[in-house]
Amino acid sequence: MNFMDSIAGMSFFDMHVHMISRTTDDYQAMADAGVVAVVEPAFWMGQPRTGVDSFRDYFATLVGWERFRASQFGVRHYCTIGLNSKEANQEALAEQVMEILPLFIYKEGVVGIGEIGFDDQTRAEEKYYRAQLDLAKEASLPVQIHTPHRDKKKGTSRSMDIAIEHGLEPGMVIVDHNNEETVREVLDRGFWAGFTIYPFTKMGNERMVEVVKQYGPERIMINSAADWGVSDPLAVPKTAALMKQHGISGEAIKLVTFGNAITAFAQSGQLSLDDLLQPMSIDQSQRFNGSSVLRGGQAPRIDKEATIIK
Amino acid sequence: MNIAMMSQTLFYLIEQQPASQKAVDYLHQQVDLYHQNQQTSMFYRVFTAMPRFVGKQPIDVPADMAFTLERLRSGFQVKGWTMDRLARVWWLLQLPADNETTYVGTITQLFKAGELNELVALYSALPVLAFPEAWRFQATEGIRNNIADVQSAIMLHNPYPADYFDEAAWNQLVLKAFFTDKDVTQITGLDERKNARLAQTLADYAAERRAAGRTLPPNIERLLA
Repeated sequence: MNFMDSIAGMSFFDMHVHMISRTTDDYQAMADAGVVAVVEPAFWMGQPRTGVDSFRDYFATLVGWERFRASQFGVRHYCTIGLNSKEANQEALAEQVMEILPLFIYKEGVVGIGEIGFDDQTRAEEKYYRAQLDLAKEASLPVQIHTPHRDKKKGTSRSMDIAIEHGLEPGMVIVDHNNEETVREVLDRGFWAGFTIYPFTKMGNERMVEVVKQYGPERIMINSAADWGVSDPLAVPKTAALMKQHGISGEAIKLVTFGNAITAFAQSGQLSLDDLLQPMSIDQSQRFNGSSVLRGGQAPRIDKEATIIK
Repeated sequence: MNIAMMSQTLFYLIEQQPASQKAVDYLHQQVDLYHQNQQTSMFYRVFTAMPRFVGKQPIDVPADMAFTLERLRSGFQVKGWTMDRLARVWWLLQLPADNETTYVGTITQLFKAGELNELVALYSALPVLAFPEAWRFQATEGIRNNIADVQSAIMLHNPYPADYFDEAAWNQLVLKAFFTDKDVTQITGLDERKNARLAQTLADYAAERRAAGRTLPPNIERLLA
């Protein structure tokens, strides 16, 4: 059975996806599958940036062109802004980035500080993680934590310890990229537990079904973290379909794929369920600073059923 | 390490390569020009344009040459390199090492602007550059890199990390090698730098792999004990 049939009419919120690396086909497919909103956390480019201006332009893109691009497909685009852990290691540059962060974190639609946390778990990473937790506290913004791929269990515990040390309420912190080894502690300590359905390196969605069966839907949310790597921007709707197949209730699926993320990020004051329920008109002839998603001669909204590509 | 002797030896190896006469003439000419007028722009041009003039064919490394290199710089090997990589590393050794700030600053610009093959050459060169202490952070950036060939240039058959990394950076190298499916037996100093923290972290990793229903990477048990 096509997964699209079993999720017809459902709405999804992908709370971690790097749309800047994705194509308009992805936006179209996501919209068709019911993804109505996304959070795009600031991250690295796959290679290191060498100057503060690259960061400035990237942050400006997240609140500018990328949000506009999403709107052209009926997808509401929010973002979290921060200095990612890998690039925190270039300390001279990191200092400059910290200086410009306040210019961006108070902008409309910025729903948190993220993704921040640990990669190699170095001293520099810890320094800028702590500094950004203070920034989040001052701005009353949720925090989206990237937990490390390597030495994950210890790195996850340590990330939470430090957040608490800095006076953040666990309810303001979304701990992302969990797995079977980290989820219990994250939930027990009152944090939000994000799960990334990403082929091979993170969670597969059959495992995700088991996690929801075991822990229930409270404070759990899933995302695709689709980026420039081999990843799947439809991971959230596909996992919803799989949960349905495995008899997980509609209410639980809605919490894990939509409701919990809204509750968590709504604490920013920059997003609400009401906003998401407002109809959004798609007019692809709109322009952003004079630019449109349409290139010369293209007709708005591609007909996906047509075989012929003109 | 004696940089002049290393430079001579690498150049001798370049000369020994089949059909290398054009490359050798070019490099002679460039190094003479550079010695007359040490302009940074020229240093960068020769480094960057290297493949156009020396080609990219794999090099032969006779056993006596491998032995000489090892004697000049313990653990340093060039087996499996290409001509442009070898010539670039040799060229880096032509940079005057009389002022640390200028030396490190000049090479750091190459790292910042480097594309894949340039980065491979640059990380390969770390064990033979002057001011070895100055490259510690740059070397960890190579581990953080996302491109397999660049990671391999610093992780595998390279004595720099074992000589200069502290324990945390070393453990990150080994972990990342497992995560990126490298053959960890090719890491220089793997057994010498075994440690309890690394064993613990790898044990957690093994548990996580099992929980996810995934297989364990080869040779992990060698470091668990």
